[in-house]
Amino acid sequence: MAMTLSDLWVMTQAASLSLLLALASIALGTALALLLTPLAFAPWAIARMLYRLFIFVVRGTPVLLLALLIFYALAAFWGRISPYTAGVIVLTLYLAALFAEVFRGGVLAIPRPLWDCCKSLGLPRLSILRRVVGPLVARYTLPPYLNVCVMAVKASSVLSIISVWELTLASREIIERTLDVYRVLAVAAILYFLMCFAIDRLGRRLEIRLAARGFAGERL
Amino acid sequence: MIEIRGIRKAFGPVAVLNGIDLSIAKGEIVALIGRSGCGKTTLLRCINFLEDYDAGEIKLDGEVLWYRQLETGERRRHSERDLARQRQRMGIVFQQFNLFPHMTALENVCLGPRFGQKLPGPTAELRAREHLARVGLADRVNSYPAQLSGGQQQRVAIARALAMKPQVLLLDEITSALDPELVAEVEDVIRALTQEGIAMVLVTHAIAFAREIAHRIAYLAEGQIMEIGTARDMLDRPRDPGLQDFLRRIR
Repeated sequence: MAMTLSDLWVMTQAASLSLLLALASIALGTALALLLTPLAFAPWAIARMLYRLFIFVVRGTPVLLLALLIFYALAAFWGRISPYTAGVIVLTLYLAALFAEVFRGGVLAIPRPLWDCCKSLGLPRLSILRRVVGPLVARYTLPPYLNVCVMAVKASSVLSIISVWELTLASREIIERTLDVYRVLAVAAILYFLMCFAIDRLGRRLEIRLAARGFAGERL
Repeated sequence: MIEIRGIRKAFGPVAVLNGIDLSIAKGEIVALIGRSGCGKTTLLRCINFLEDYDAGEIKLDGEVLWYRQLETGERRRHSERDLARQRQRMGIVFQQFNLFPHMTALENVCLGPRFGQKLPGPTAELRAREHLARVGLADRVNSYPAQLSGGQQQRVAIARALAMKPQVLLLDEITSALDPELVAEVEDVIRALTQEGIAMVLVTHAIAFAREIAHRIAYLAEGQIMEIGTARDMLDRPRDPGLQDFLRRIR
């Protein structure tokens, strides 16, 4: 039995849920990463150690395992938890680790003489962060940041393992019902591709806008 | 005005500064010369505390900068706020212009007065425009560094340092990274500043320029000032054999 038009409709709905999960986790993960990255540069050894530990654990674990672990752990200690909440938590932690490392790389890429300039101008720490480090890191890290965003959309498929109804789980349901394996998988692949492509386009436009504001800079 | 006493600095086992003493009077221009690796750039960075030093004292108008001595004889760095305030009394210009690439010339020059000295926006902007005009870049205020030539970038960097109204200007080989035909425009800016009586310490390899503008020249070797004197004495009648050799080589 071939998949029908209404199956396609169901899949687009599932896809938009995938996208929603990814976007929510990207937003929360970015926020968490912005809190984490400063730890890596903190003057206290304990803060730097905590940072490394977090990265080590989260990055060193397969997302699939992380999803199962957090879902069952939360369920055991907290009582019933919605798989959607657990899913967003899992993706947020995973993305935060990746984003934090991307941002850390951006901070390291700031040439030392620019730090010297900030110091000799007597800028307070907050101004250095807002006026210099922030804008520079944003420009340096936009491409790898978008890379992780695209990964986030695809990583959301893993959440099907904890019964989050998103594109991958929906596709499997339709396959089980219709046995139209290849067509359903092809449609799912196309939907994933479209979502990733949209993020890629959006990012490219952002890059061009930043470049127009002085950052084509070093490449002119 | 500036009193430097017994500055010592080592990078690990390598001693870079071995007890530097140097006084700079109000409005005086002192050039530091010497072979690369002799410590002249490090000395300049220590004066602005971009580099910490192991021993010694730097005073500006009688105020001890950067460190304070505890009663136990130990020394402590000043608080970040005090350090920032003290740094603002000096301006430094580097060899590689080091402008902020994401800011226009105007924003680069505004940054210090606006956020370091906390002037109101319009006041800071007015001051920045004045200083850009002073270095001959009134028509390039809205250009980004990448749109400017090396000479223009270095002039923006000078304006950025001057906009803080520093008592002393530190110049670290500011023409070394420039194409030969761009050197003159930067030297002209500095030459004009000598009329205004701002004190300067410049590290340079441009001996002719040092002779022209410096009141005194100091020759550094092995982390010490081996000889110091007027430009004419130092360059025409050098006594130190190392200096004689150095001058022969670069001529």
